[in-house]
Amino acid sequence: MTTAEKYTKIRKIKSFIALSLSTFAAFIGLFWLGFILFDVLRHGIAGLNWELFTEDPAPPGIEGGGLRNAFVGQLEIVFFAVIMGVPIGMLAGIFIAEYARGTKFAKTVSILSDIMVSVPSIVVGTFIYAILVKPIGHINYGGVVAVGFLSAIITFIFGSVLNLFTSKVLLNVFSVKSDSAVKLLNLIINLITVLFGVFLFIYLLHKLVDKIHGFNGWAGAASLAFIMIPVILRTTEDMLSLVPWSLREAAFALGASYYHVIKDIVIRAAMTGILTGVILSISRVAGETAPLLFTSFNNSYFTMNMNEPIASLTVTIFVYATGPYEDWHTKAWAASFIITFFILLVTISARYIIHWRYKN
Amino acid sequence: MKKLKKLPFQDIFFGIIAFSASFLVLSLIFSTVLVLYNESSLAIHRFGIINFILTEEWDPVREIFGAAASLYGTLVTTVLSLLFAIPIAIGIAIFLAEVSPHLLKTPIGIAIEMLAAIPSIIYGMWGLFTLAPIMGNYIEPALQNTLGKIPVIGKLFEGTPTGIDLLTASLVLSIMIIPFIASIARDSLNLTPNIMKESAYALGATKWDVVKDIMIPYAKLGIYGGIVLALGRALGETMAVAFVLGNNHQITLSLLDAAATITVTLANEFTEADSDIYLSSLFYLALILFVLSFVILAIAKFFLLKAERGYSR
Repeated sequence: MTTAEKYTKIRKIKSFIALSLSTFAAFIGLFWLGFILFDVLRHGIAGLNWELFTEDPAPPGIEGGGLRNAFVGQLEIVFFAVIMGVPIGMLAGIFIAEYARGTKFAKTVSILSDIMVSVPSIVVGTFIYAILVKPIGHINYGGVVAVGFLSAIITFIFGSVLNLFTSKVLLNVFSVKSDSAVKLLNLIINLITVLFGVFLFIYLLHKLVDKIHGFNGWAGAASLAFIMIPVILRTTEDMLSLVPWSLREAAFALGASYYHVIKDIVIRAAMTGILTGVILSISRVAGETAPLLFTSFNNSYFTMNMNEPIASLTVTIFVYATGPYEDWHTKAWAASFIITFFILLVTISARYIIHWRYKN
Repeated sequence: MKKLKKLPFQDIFFGIIAFSASFLVLSLIFSTVLVLYNESSLAIHRFGIINFILTEEWDPVREIFGAAASLYGTLVTTVLSLLFAIPIAIGIAIFLAEVSPHLLKTPIGIAIEMLAAIPSIIYGMWGLFTLAPIMGNYIEPALQNTLGKIPVIGKLFEGTPTGIDLLTASLVLSIMIIPFIASIARDSLNLTPNIMKESAYALGATKWDVVKDIMIPYAKLGIYGGIVLALGRALGETMAVAFVLGNNHQITLSLLDAAATITVTLANEFTEADSDIYLSSLFYLALILFVLSFVILAIAKFFLLKAERGYSR
């Protein structure tokens, strides 16, 4: 054998060893996944029964009972998190992808929200605790901002309806033709809308903010929304930037305003992607525990009142798994089973939707 | 009739709402820093910055608080988990990019990403009920009997193996961060231009030569970015660690001792803090964690952006 042949052979052996090692690494990864899923499945199925969904927890140490309060609480918290997080994340994403495309502001928001995606969720919990749970007897700034945003969105819907009504009905019925009359009507509509918004804000402020003391469900929903917002923002931005610019130009050429272009053209073209992003972000926050520990806290009784501490599946798992009773451990496993397979199902189907929609 | 459509109300109002939403996102980040600073100002004035970081003691009764033990625990678990995770994650990335048959690429890729989708509390429970007994009964005694006998390294494996310790926590953490590194590394490896790989093969390079000398140098920045991102994730992970680390505010050399990280301290003590200075110190810990992870994630983002720019060139 010549030296060259020997050298080739050594290189081939080296290559074989290195690539076998990488295959082995992939097996290790799959092994952990299989191990964890198998364990959750094995313990979880053993603990599953109908009472889990229909009954409230029994007193500590006594067998039986279920986790109805935690299931309902979890759904409620995630629902309100979606209500808060999705509009804000989508609107912000639309702003930086459309109105502020290519500006410094858009880049800053985009990079910062990329960082926000990975900020420790427990820090989010402490932040929300400081602004929504701790302030007793003081002004609740977080609540004021939340109410402000809520009333802005309701006002927008109110204004749109009013506008639609005026342009479609009133103007046709009275057949207004003059320029100045339309301008005047515009002014009146805008004025009414702003006044409506201000009154709504003041009304809701009294209704909502003063009623909350200590741990509450709203704070839990807000902390989950905090985690959702950057995820949705980034997805929206990415999906909108995939929509070809010529589509917008075609709509502009027909005389559409930017709002209509966004509403009827851009969003519609990017809807599947955005929805998938929303679904993925829901599956991400559904498994979050750390931010709920000091915001919505825990409640061993059934409640639907978001102004009180409210139980969630994840916090219940934490409490039950670290607790002393065997029955609690079984219930914690059953709850983990449900939450894990819900999340995996959602994640996989979202991936397939993306794959199916963007395969070309 | 054309004038009737010219009511510009929605256009302006929508723009304003969209702007205020993006401004709200921006202000969320800044208000997080401000609020955390404001809440921890009591502890900052009482303990100072350097002093707080270097004090090991964490005594709620005497109201003396220091972050050294928590910081040490965070550091050790993070570094150890990276040590465990990096080789495996990069191996997975190489497998997915170059070795795996085409049919298996998507399912295995999805399976690895599923590891990232499993909620951290499940990792914690699994660690507590399944992994900790295995570690405590089999692996840790074995480690003590082999590595524990070596003079200097032996110090790392002293004590009674219980399974609730730094080693188990790092292992659980490493499983959690494998998918982050693996998926980013795979994506970066896949971006290597085919023409470069093909020219290397034409020169007679083996597959490993191509991976080592063409693909890895090309994907270097992306891989760094993935590792730093995983570092940031590992720093802030709470529930997976909270189950298997105990909550022990002491700096211990042995990996088989219970310890505390910043996140575990927060999770266990936040709702029990009964005095202002106690709560303020916990906020101080949260502030330190936030600043640390923010800086690390910014570095990761910097690497990834630079990598992106490099590829598009």
